[in-house]
Amino acid sequence: MSHSKEREGRRKAPLSPWKSTTPKKATKTNKPIEGVASLDHRFGIPFIAPFFLIFLIFGLAPVIYSIYISFYKWDPLGGSTFNGVQNFVTLWGDSDFWLAMRNTFSIWALSTFPQMAMAIGLAVILRSKRLRGASFWRTIFLVPNITSVIAITIVFGQLFGRDFGIINGILGLFGVDNIDFIEGVIPSHIQIAVMITWRWIGYNTLIFLAAMLAIPDELYESASVDGATKWQQFIYVTLPQLKNTITFVLVVGTIGGLQVFAEPQQLAADGGSSKQFLTLTLFLYNQAFVNNKYGYAAAIGIAITVIVLIISVINFLITRRISNDGGGR
Amino acid sequence: MRKKTIFRGSIAVSTAAILAAGVLGTPARAADPVTITIWTFGDVIQRQLVQEYKNLHPEITLQIKKSDLDPLNGTNMVTACTSKTGPDVVAVEVQYSGYWRSYPKCFTDLRKMKTSEANVVAGIPAGKTALDFKKNYLPWRWEQGVGYDDSVIGFPTDVGGLEVAYRVDLFKKAGLPTDRDKVGKLWPTWEKFIATGVKYNAKRSAADKKAGKGFIDNAGTIYAAIMNQGTEKYYKNDGTDAGKLIYDTNPQVKKAWDTTIKATELGIGTRIGQYTSDWNIGMNKGTFATILAPAWMMDYIKQQAPDTSGKWDIAALPGGGGNQGGTQLTVPSYAKNPQEAYDFITWYLAPEQQLKVFKTYGLFPAASVLYNDAALLDYKDPFFNNAPVGKIYSEGVSKVKPIFEGKLQRAIDQAIGAGLGRVAAKKMTPAKSWAQVLVDIKKVISN
Repeated sequence: MSHSKEREGRRKAPLSPWKSTTPKKATKTNKPIEGVASLDHRFGIPFIAPFFLIFLIFGLAPVIYSIYISFYKWDPLGGSTFNGVQNFVTLWGDSDFWLAMRNTFSIWALSTFPQMAMAIGLAVILRSKRLRGASFWRTIFLVPNITSVIAITIVFGQLFGRDFGIINGILGLFGVDNIDFIEGVIPSHIQIAVMITWRWIGYNTLIFLAAMLAIPDELYESASVDGATKWQQFIYVTLPQLKNTITFVLVVGTIGGLQVFAEPQQLAADGGSSKQFLTLTLFLYNQAFVNNKYGYAAAIGIAITVIVLIISVINFLITRRISNDGGGR
Repeated sequence: MRKKTIFRGSIAVSTAAILAAGVLGTPARAADPVTITIWTFGDVIQRQLVQEYKNLHPEITLQIKKSDLDPLNGTNMVTACTSKTGPDVVAVEVQYSGYWRSYPKCFTDLRKMKTSEANVVAGIPAGKTALDFKKNYLPWRWEQGVGYDDSVIGFPTDVGGLEVAYRVDLFKKAGLPTDRDKVGKLWPTWEKFIATGVKYNAKRSAADKKAGKGFIDNAGTIYAAIMNQGTEKYYKNDGTDAGKLIYDTNPQVKKAWDTTIKATELGIGTRIGQYTSDWNIGMNKGTFATILAPAWMMDYIKQQAPDTSGKWDIAALPGGGGNQGGTQLTVPSYAKNPQEAYDFITWYLAPEQQLKVFKTYGLFPAASVLYNDAALLDYKDPFFNNAPVGKIYSEGVSKVKPIFEGKLQRAIDQAIGAGLGRVAAKKMTPAKSWAQVLVDIKKVISN
């Protein structure tokens, strides 16, 4: 259905200015579709070419190149030697890699699930018809998203300071001892997760809001006729309708979560004294750009790709199941 | 039809133009005015002197790009040398000197450069090579800018002479002597320094204890101080360029580790990390009474804690003589204007300019010809209770012995630093943490 709609719109749309300047008026008036089609044919490729050129240079070429160097001992200054699969063997036995994996998933879990619950809650508030200045709130929610990660880390670093940070100051009022948000494993993960949450919650809220606005009012009306409370409406009407959106946010969040880099790097470039917040990408970065082991780093990059692929497949299977379920309703 | 081809052509051209604009950047200008690009960090290049050079050479623009040290001396320089494009001058910190000395191909050999007529008016004679300037500088600092093939890759800027900055008011409160000579005599050795710390901490009130106040800002800094008092670190100079790794057998490493662990376990430090917000606040609040302060840190203290002016003083470092940091200005082999860059370096690092930098910013000159100069020896700093900082630091750096730094010194230092951090955070016992250090170092040095 959406397809035919698109075509209709195309036909009605004014012709491209390119066409109007051509002298062959007859073709323009008589065979408009062919004209557009021929335009697509002639100009389509040049128009999309910049993307593909840039993708080839900055996307595909580095990927192939890093697969290539992952089989080498690669030192850009000192020369390189073929290393077979040794980099991958070393990686499998490297405790730092598994530590980085643990940290990455821990930070991911701590930043994704609480964030999702809060984002849905905020979206409900934003959707409320009684809220004043709705568009103001919707706009301001995006501000954290465009704030520089470095700035966020500096500010949160002060909030989470061990001795003079405001968070420990407040906890101190309740008799809690100062928490070391750098040295502690879980505390440091919480600090990073809070930064990620703060940055992305507005974005996710808007996505949930958009999904909620698409839910037909009739569903709520009939639910209230049946005597459902607001809470029951949320549980039995809103949440089921958000299933696909939740999956989408989860997928995007997972891909982002596997790439957490700047926040831990800003807290301590080596990932902490016992590598307690060394993430996979930070591990990769340090091997390449601190220890100059580019071949090994390329192998880590490939490992991360494989992990993302596995998770994507799992996500895909879950999404398919959900959409199949959803189709029946 | 013709028009169509023109359109197609113009699209192709504009596409090419867009791509080219991204790649080429601004179009090249006429050659006459010269731009020297300088990659640096921190306060190595001083604004005031840049202005002075501008007045001297209106045709030269100094384009200064500051980065953090690790990306600058690591990634950025590796990338620049690999792609053979980059700045005309790069600042290389001592911790990275061992690494870059093993890649002389990345630098212009300054023995082969000759000064031009450009700075004769400013007292720099023409036709001089790097070897003609060698006598002006501290010999061991000069060596840190000599490649392992004997080419001269850089001129030394400053010496990070290390002494103890202490708070006079807090020492008085703790019943310790306050006069800088007497304070220095409190700690001829590191053991005595730690003992003084224990004594100081014993005098703390209950409130101070609860607020986490302590004797020294971070006991971990003792490690680097002791390491720099030796003659060898992690490499033995066995005649080869690479040197021999001795990090696990060198008694100096063990001594530095054990002493630092002892200081940590006795709790004389506040465990505040340097250059954190807690550190800056603590400096103002008197959270710690001492900092092991390289000369270049004096300016940082002044900026961060202006209200503590006059409360600080400088005393000699335990163990006698210390050094931490220092920088070399180098001209990369891929520099576009090597002659102008060399002329700039020879002027900027001439003793006359180094003295100016010391007086305004406290960077202690590597130009040892100044060490007998009254202008340096008589210089007193009111912020540090009128301490004769010139005299104190020049005495200190004269006692420092040259150290063979070695290629991976920085990486090994970081592994050990993390190990000390684990003990300080009580996450591991010293023995376990040291075992972990050895594992981590092995990973770094294995390829």
